[in-house]
Amino acid sequence: MTDDTPFDAVAAGPRPSDAHDPELGGHPAEVPDHPSVTALRATFGDAIRAHQLHAGDENVVFVDPAALYAVLEFLQQDPDQRYDYLLDLTAVDYGAGTPIQVVYQLWSLGFHRMLRVKVELPLDALEVDSVEPLWKTADWLEREVWDLFGVTFRGHPDLRRILMPANYAEGHPLRKDFPLRGRFSRAEQTRRALALEVDDNYTVLERELGAEPQIVPAAPAGEPDDGRGSDDTMKGE
Amino acid sequence: MGMKETESTTPIDAPGAPQAGTPLPGGGTSARPEGSGGLFGSGGPTFLTTRLDWVINWSRRNSLWPMPFGTACCAIEMMASAASNYDLARFGMERMSFSPRQADVLICAGRVPYKLAPVLRRIYDQMMQPKWVISMGACASSGGIFDNYSMVQGIDTIVPVDVYIPGCPPRPEGLIYGLMMVQEKIREERLSDHTVNRAEDPLAAGHPRASAPEIEGLTGPFGNSTRQNRLSGLVRTSRISRPDDRRP
Repeated sequence: MTDDTPFDAVAAGPRPSDAHDPELGGHPAEVPDHPSVTALRATFGDAIRAHQLHAGDENVVFVDPAALYAVLEFLQQDPDQRYDYLLDLTAVDYGAGTPIQVVYQLWSLGFHRMLRVKVELPLDALEVDSVEPLWKTADWLEREVWDLFGVTFRGHPDLRRILMPANYAEGHPLRKDFPLRGRFSRAEQTRRALALEVDDNYTVLERELGAEPQIVPAAPAGEPDDGRGSDDTMKGE
Repeated sequence: MGMKETESTTPIDAPGAPQAGTPLPGGGTSARPEGSGGLFGSGGPTFLTTRLDWVINWSRRNSLWPMPFGTACCAIEMMASAASNYDLARFGMERMSFSPRQADVLICAGRVPYKLAPVLRRIYDQMMQPKWVISMGACASSGGIFDNYSMVQGIDTIVPVDVYIPGCPPRPEGLIYGLMMVQEKIREERLSDHTVNRAEDPLAAGHPRASAPEIEGLTGPFGNSTRQNRLSGLVRTSRISRPDDRRP
């Protein structure tokens, strides 16, 4: 290794971990068939760019970003696939100008089957369709990916920062081209942090959710008791 | 019995009377003459004189209620300090006051990210005077190993700090020692200096405590494991500088 600094390792980009290395037990050259991948290839053809096996038994499918939403919709709604659980949605930046990978980790509750779908987005076109209509959990996960990597999700209902402060203006900090200490001076960072009202991190709706509890009016006398019980003081009215 | 009658007719705080009394640690004088024996109230007058400074500091330092601001592993040690093995209550920290209004000393235990900085500042502003602040652990005192984009480099840029406790995390003995140092600090306070020590500019609420050059001086180009600084950047992409990213 000729790395003078750890920084050079970052500059060198990703290690060739995708190559088959029998000593290290890397990915086998022959990937056994996966029923979902077979169906995907039959349906989408060239939009399925690659199929790899990572870490022994993790099936990874690389998909054309333009076809991503159709692929995921197919995986969720096809009766033979039924990937109804989005385990995780995240992104990876390998640095050195390589594309950012957005990762969709899917789990099929019915078939007990796992599949990892990846799209590669070049740094000058960080945009992909939102899958929030398919899985509601993608709402916050896509906000997180946008916050930390700057990937824009088309059609997301509420794409704003979720982890960084609402007035954060230094970019997207988990990118490899982001300087570790941020872009502003420490004094400016401190000033901006204290200039933020705590409530600014929340929308009006979220602030209402954390407000005083609402008193639910008592049911009219004519309606039968639904068995959930009710507050005695409300009955007296 | 005749001795008792003599005492009751003699004003104990009159000039000349206290020489019979026992000196107290604070310079005060017991009202119980030597030789009378028994408990307070068993015999003569039942009051004592002392310095106002001393008795106020004594009561303050022996009933310090901590406001725990625990954000990380230091808070685990703080909980251990309050539990029975170490038992902070021995020193007057009878309970953790989870309301800043009833707290005397703010224990900031753990790292404070910039997003939490206004919360810490508001809690400090909400505390009643007199109040003291303990910065517990390396992260709260200096940012610790987190010399990065998201972490406050020492809470003394946000609020004034009385005692810094080193350690990562400090053991409960360290926290107790720090609290005893606060007690020592209170012991030295004088009521005549109170307005100076406790002066607070209402306009300073919600603002950084340290000046901009002071904050800048905290983070030199040292200790950065990846040799990145604010000016470096491997790949400069146009997405970084697009206006959408710079939300107000």
